[in-house]
Amino acid sequence: MLTDFGIILLFIIAGFALLGVVLGVGRLLRPDNPNPEKNSTYESGEDPVGNANVQFNVRFYVVALIFVLFEVELVFLFPWAVVFGREDLIAQTEGRWGWFALAEMTVFVGILALGLAYAWAKGYLDWVKPKPHVSQFDSPVPSELYEQLNERYAGKAGKGMEEKSNQLP
Amino acid sequence: MYPIILLSFLGIVVLFLGFAKSKAILLPATLLFLAVALVGNFVEWNQGTIIYFYNMLAVNNLTLAFNGIVLVSAFMIVAMTRGFQDDDEAQPAEYYAIMLFSLVGAFMMIGFENLIMLFLGLEILSVAMYVLTGSDKRNLRSNEAALKYFLMGAFATGILLFGIALLYGATGSFTLTGIQAYIGQGNPSYLLYGGLLLVLIGMLFKVSAAPFHFWTPDVYEGAPTIFTAFMATIVKTAGFAALFRLLSHSFTGIYDYWWITLAVITVLTLLVGNIIAVYQDSFKRMLAYSSISHAGYLLIALTAMTPQTENSILFYSMAYSVATICAFGVLIPLAREKAMTGKPRETYEAFNGLARNNPLLAFVLTVSMLSLAGIPLTAGFWGKFFVFGSAAERGIIWLLVVAILMSAVGIYYYFRVIMAAYMKEGDTAEIRVAPFYKIVLVTATIITLLFGIAPGLFTGLV
Amino acid sequence: MPVTLLVLIPLLPLIGFLINGIGFRHIPKGAVGLIGSLAALGSFAASVAVLLAFKEGGSQPMIVSLFDWIKVGELNIPFSFQVDQLSLLMLMIITGVGSLIHIYSIGYMKHDPGFGKFFSFLNLFLFFMLLLVLGSNYVIMFIGWEGVGLCSYLLIGFWNKNTDFNNAARKAFIMNRIGDLGFLLGIFTIIHAFGSVEYTEVFRQATGLPVGDHVVFAITMLLFVGAMGKSAQIPLYTWLPDAMAGPTPVSALIHAATMVTAGIYMVIRSNVLYTLAPETLEIVAVVGAVTAIFAASIGLLQNDIKKVLAYSTVSQLGYMFLGLGVMAYSASMFHVITHAFFKALLFLGAGSVIHAMSDEQDIRFMGGLRKKLPITFITFAVATWAIAGLPPFAGFFSKDEILAHAFEHNKLLWGIGVLGSALTSFYMFRLLFLTFFGSFRGTHEQEHHLHESPAAMTIPLVILALLSAVGGFIGVPEALGGTHQLAEFMSPLFDTARQVNPEAFAATALTHSEEWILMAVSVAVALIAAVIAYVMYISRSAVPAPESEARTGVENVVYHKYYIDELYDTVFVKPMKSLSGVLSSFGEFVIDLFVEGTGKLVKGLSNLGRQTQTGSIGYYVFAMVVGIVVILFWNLLLN
Repeated sequence: MLTDFGIILLFIIAGFALLGVVLGVGRLLRPDNPNPEKNSTYESGEDPVGNANVQFNVRFYVVALIFVLFEVELVFLFPWAVVFGREDLIAQTEGRWGWFALAEMTVFVGILALGLAYAWAKGYLDWVKPKPHVSQFDSPVPSELYEQLNERYAGKAGKGMEEKSNQLP
Repeated sequence: MYPIILLSFLGIVVLFLGFAKSKAILLPATLLFLAVALVGNFVEWNQGTIIYFYNMLAVNNLTLAFNGIVLVSAFMIVAMTRGFQDDDEAQPAEYYAIMLFSLVGAFMMIGFENLIMLFLGLEILSVAMYVLTGSDKRNLRSNEAALKYFLMGAFATGILLFGIALLYGATGSFTLTGIQAYIGQGNPSYLLYGGLLLVLIGMLFKVSAAPFHFWTPDVYEGAPTIFTAFMATIVKTAGFAALFRLLSHSFTGIYDYWWITLAVITVLTLLVGNIIAVYQDSFKRMLAYSSISHAGYLLIALTAMTPQTENSILFYSMAYSVATICAFGVLIPLAREKAMTGKPRETYEAFNGLARNNPLLAFVLTVSMLSLAGIPLTAGFWGKFFVFGSAAERGIIWLLVVAILMSAVGIYYYFRVIMAAYMKEGDTAEIRVAPFYKIVLVTATIITLLFGIAPGLFTGLV
Repeated sequence: MPVTLLVLIPLLPLIGFLINGIGFRHIPKGAVGLIGSLAALGSFAASVAVLLAFKEGGSQPMIVSLFDWIKVGELNIPFSFQVDQLSLLMLMIITGVGSLIHIYSIGYMKHDPGFGKFFSFLNLFLFFMLLLVLGSNYVIMFIGWEGVGLCSYLLIGFWNKNTDFNNAARKAFIMNRIGDLGFLLGIFTIIHAFGSVEYTEVFRQATGLPVGDHVVFAITMLLFVGAMGKSAQIPLYTWLPDAMAGPTPVSALIHAATMVTAGIYMVIRSNVLYTLAPETLEIVAVVGAVTAIFAASIGLLQNDIKKVLAYSTVSQLGYMFLGLGVMAYSASMFHVITHAFFKALLFLGAGSVIHAMSDEQDIRFMGGLRKKLPITFITFAVATWAIAGLPPFAGFFSKDEILAHAFEHNKLLWGIGVLGSALTSFYMFRLLFLTFFGSFRGTHEQEHHLHESPAAMTIPLVILALLSAVGGFIGVPEALGGTHQLAEFMSPLFDTARQVNPEAFAATALTHSEEWILMAVSVAVALIAAVIAYVMYISRSAVPAPESEARTGVENVVYHKYYIDELYDTVFVKPMKSLSGVLSSFGEFVIDLFVEGTGKLVKGLSNLGRQTQTGSIGYYVFAMVVGIVVILFWNLLLN
């Protein structure tokens, strides 16, 4: 008979075995065209090496939050599923147990679903936000004139701006 | 228990009401929901102590009374929002929903029976506050405040959790009764003391006691005023209800161990709050320090922990909340008016000559300042009287002396506002205030005066 | 005793306040004055009725419980009134003199734009003052105590356009707050010691304590700090002369007749406790005597008519405390009563003079007014005679009784008292002569404008003059063949105190002839002082030098009120900035140091503290961690 630690050992062995099988089968099946991009560590599409002080796209957080939410939901569903079908409890309560548990989980999942629906309706799930609004302004001055002007003062203006922005903080 | 379920559900309803074409329905709907929750709250009145959810939550008259204070404060504050109509960027549905959700957190803190519920409630309340603090998205100060609040709050939460873990390690129980039973056996382990101290520190941070108060002025100033009012009243009331519950239910057995630490923190809080408030030029920042100092007065009652403490904290929270709401309630329209004319918005000078054209606002402000300063015939006086009385009963006279001296310092900065409103020359135009807003202010003032004249009406309730 | 009648006493002024306070912009002036005065008069009528009922009912003290006010834990504070000899006497003074002053104000304040506001404040003051004396426990007394302080603040700063007046108001309020802190601490100590604040309960328990008990000493000292603030004793007296910034009827009502005597009321009310604490009584007597002579000497050279009266009030209050200190409780109360009459009269007379002089208050520009203001002159002269302690007017009897007790107790205190009495007589006659005798020294325009005041003002003057003249006969000493009705009336109040310390209440050991000698001495001294004043200011018709003229050393010091205000400013305030060890070296002035230094000290500390708020989150977290480490270290390792 296995002890509790024996079972854990079995789990560990099974874990390694599963990992080996999945990676091995993958290696056999996939096309092999490496490039530096592919070979780098995965970090949500961001460059994994470099200064940590960079700005992430804020939408990552929304997606991550929603992801975590449903992951936690899943974790929560497991213990529930274990007790949901217990025959002794159902028998003791003449069947009300099942309905009660089902109703509670429906409330839980329902609330989460409502949250998802809200995020969806608000458009937080759309990766690409609506295009920026381009102002419709017809200037009587031909656009070439603006460009010439920009070119001529580009150096000076840029410098001035820099100085100003340096003073700000 | 009912308000927890009601507000969880109604919060979602408010969220979805936001999809309606007209935003006008949101404010009345939220107020209606709060009223429903208030009625639901008192269904269980006078039914003794009821325990819910396998020892997770308890309901008795005291928790219901605290819930009532929180709900009424929330009602008044929500009524002052005017539906955020003057701001295009605002997301009123979400603000209201978050406020309702945060109240759920407050109720859990007030009635927790299990430390896990304390933690959950605290987090529900705090996360909601972080969001509301940063809700003025285009204002850098608001962003800064939210980030500061969040970082420091997360830090404090970590400490609280650590403390809970140590308590569990020592006692093998998360429940208040379990911990009490463990202490009753005598000879508790060091883990328990460490856990208690860390939990206390975590909670003291939330009620902004020194030396964990540093976030308060910055956050109070940066947050939109209406949410500052929310923070100053509801978070504080819930925090003190939770602290009282924790200390009175579980840790009276080792009172000799913790009271001196709490007393030192109390003195420090009183000094910091009152003395720094003197130097402030901004009314809003002064109120932030005043809220620190009031945390100090409330801590006196906790430190004393006599049979009187329960009533003192309840009464003080009520008096303080109502007066603070009045103060912010006057500041909001005034600052809006001043912002339009480009004058200083939240400094003392903004109040100059307020009485001439706005006698009602000036009167409301005066009563609220008198109450905060603890002048007789306002509710604030009795709050202080009961708190000091509990300290006297315990015989901690030195603490009493400090507190009374500090309350004299308080006169200085509270009266400055009154002087500005009545005695200085200024040119504040008549400020138009919505009738409903006026009703809220007047009601709050009447509550302050009524309980100032007949405090027995309130203390007799519980 | 009809409860409704009793409730009406404070209720009427409150109603008056509400009507005038809410509607003062809409009610016509005539109606405002009528409502305010009727409220006061109605209250007076009710008080008289209660007094008669009390006497009819066999003079039994009783407590009328109105409702259960507060019940917290084991502490139960009912809202109830106590009717006994003391509260009745105070009621009579407050409502009686108050009514007269209300009527007077109709004339005096007629031209003021804030007429309605003034009357509503005055009514509010009456309400709080009545609450103070009627309450049956220390908490109600404290409510009234704070309330009258607030009204005093509002009324001193009544002409709020003037910054000086505002500062005077704030000074009064803050100084009073210092006193109140003592009072409040005293109440909490009472709660701690006796578990109740009801007079009857506290005194009942106190009788079980030995004489000289430490807790009782602490309580009485703390209460006395409160009394020092409210009744303007050294060192908390400087607010009272400044308080003269308020309208004159206010000075008469609040700063002479009623509010400032609240401290004396409180001590008499707590006579059981004080009797148990002889050390406190010593201190009370010394503070009173020193205040009496100190303030009187300042009064010698003041030139502002109201300032003279203000210092005289401080000095008379000192006499009352001297009386309390030598356990002449009923003599002090006697002096409270007579003082209410003649000091209110003096202030109202001064008001009448100021009114006639078009708001001139400097006596160097008056003179010869007796022909133009005959009624004012006669009444003022009566009051001067009374305050100087010359028979047969009221002041003679009350002051002599105090001095006789002082003589029995301590000859030095008696000496100080007699000297003070000489000074009082001198400066009062100086005031009288400079104002009403000689020739007019004001401008021509003022002279043209001189007129006797309207009837609304002169009638109260006449009534008060009558009272000042005959008021003393309620307490004619046995030595003069009379009966001391007042002492007999008040005697039951001290039954409990007599029980705990019988020796202190032993009958006087002085023989009649000794008493006659004492009386003769003080009368002679006062007469001589009056004669000196006559010689100086009438025979030689000297006029005090104008501001600019150099004065000799001593004179200069006295003229500048011993430089106390400057002293407080420079000696106490400036060193406070550096927080030096000055604190310890000034003994009893510590409290005052706090008064004047608070601002600077707190602001400095505040500035220091403010700098901890850097805005840097790293610093905040660091500070928090330090806090946590200290707490954990201290608790876990050191404990």
